Amino acid sequence: MSDLINVIIFLGLLALGYFSGTYFEQQHYKSIKKREKKTLYVPTVTFGAKQAMPEARDAALFAGSVVIGADYFKTFVSYLRNLVGGRVVVYESLLDRGRREALLRMKEQAIAWGATQVVNVRLESSNIGQQAGSNKGMMAIEVIAYGTGVK
Amino acid sequence: MKYTPKEIPEEVNVNVTRVHPLVNFAYLLGTTIGVSILIYLGLGFAAAQLTTRISPEMEIKIGQSLFPKGLFSSSLKNQERLEYVQELATSLQEDMGATRIPITVHLWENEALNAAIFPGGNIVVTTGLLDAVETENELAFVLAHELGHFAARDTLKGLGRSLVFVFVTSAIGLGTQDAGGLSAVVSTSGQLTNLHFRIRQESAADLYALEAIIRRYQHGGNSLDLFERIKVKDSRGKFEEYLSTHPLTQDRIDELNKIAAQRGWLMEGEVTAMPENISNW
Repeated sequence: MSDLINVIIFLGLLALGYFSGTYFEQQHYKSIKKREKKTLYVPTVTFGAKQAMPEARDAALFAGSVVIGADYFKTFVSYLRNLVGGRVVVYESLLDRGRREALLRMKEQAIAWGATQVVNVRLESSNIGQQAGSNKGMMAIEVIAYGTGVK
Repeated sequence: MKYTPKEIPEEVNVNVTRVHPLVNFAYLLGTTIGVSILIYLGLGFAAAQLTTRISPEMEIKIGQSLFPKGLFSSSLKNQERLEYVQELATSLQEDMGATRIPITVHLWENEALNAAIFPGGNIVVTTGLLDAVETENELAFVLAHELGHFAARDTLKGLGRSLVFVFVTSAIGLGTQDAGGLSAVVSTSGQLTNLHFRIRQESAADLYALEAIIRRYQHGGNSLDLFERIKVKDSRGKFEEYLSTHPLTQDRIDELNKIAAQRGWLMEGEVTAMPENISNW
């Protein structure tokens, strides 16, 4: 009987993770797409060492960072994936959202400051919330986007 | 160079694989369950093969180290009952020729209606069972059922499989450092595989028991009466039946009657009563 209860709790958590995770992901993507369109007019670019920098009166550093947590469903599927190896499809959307959200946060700050473009943009990502050397603890990723806004 | 903003394409996102998460999940779950069942079956089969090579001396040793003897020290008033049950078990054992090691019967003073076999030929019978049986035929069937497990070395096989089971689950726990859901999936598939083994063992033991009864009494009459009586109390549903090792009693009775009819075994005959001092307490 206790086995049965465990199975039900497990399936419940899995369903909760799946439905809430999917819902929040859809909401997030909606917001990302809307804001990407709104900020599209400001270019984010990278300059090579021998390229002339654009004319600018003023420059400032902008950093946007975001932390996104995985849901129970994603975490469980990733454990299964770890057994056989291959593309961890469930985490791809997590990182995709992280990168785009971080870029947006950086750009939105720069636009508020009055930037005409953001140059030499860099992206960093890391997973956080886990104990060193183990898979236990919270599964979350952090993405930081930083660049120089010029105007 | 002039910067012209480019429209972001609406639905094509190359950075996320276009596969439905649930499809992906089903595939992964199927693979994991399938592989763990295969590993479990394979290692379980190997364990069962090895148990048939265990010598009787070794079997007795295993039994001694595993059987909690102290639990079943029956009081003096039960001594006569114990001797009677022991005698019955031994004579059944001799009838069937399953004499690789002697059977030892232990009485457990408990109201529950149960009997069980442990490694090393140890059979535990509850006093509740002795109170419930009305004829020797009924008691003999229960003992012969446990004897069937003994003859097939089911307890040793179960022991081997448990070891395999613990080994596999802990290996997964160690290897991936995740306890949580993954080892739960693997262990549940293992348990279900084990269940499959055990249900088969139960039916085999039932058949063995009926055969022993026929040999001893020349008929199977009254031997299933105990099941007929307790089935009224049994209220397990279909789902619980699936998760339990013993089949529902009605199914057991029907199955045995069917086999008896096929083999031409007599299912009616003279009742052998329990000795007076055993049945009346």
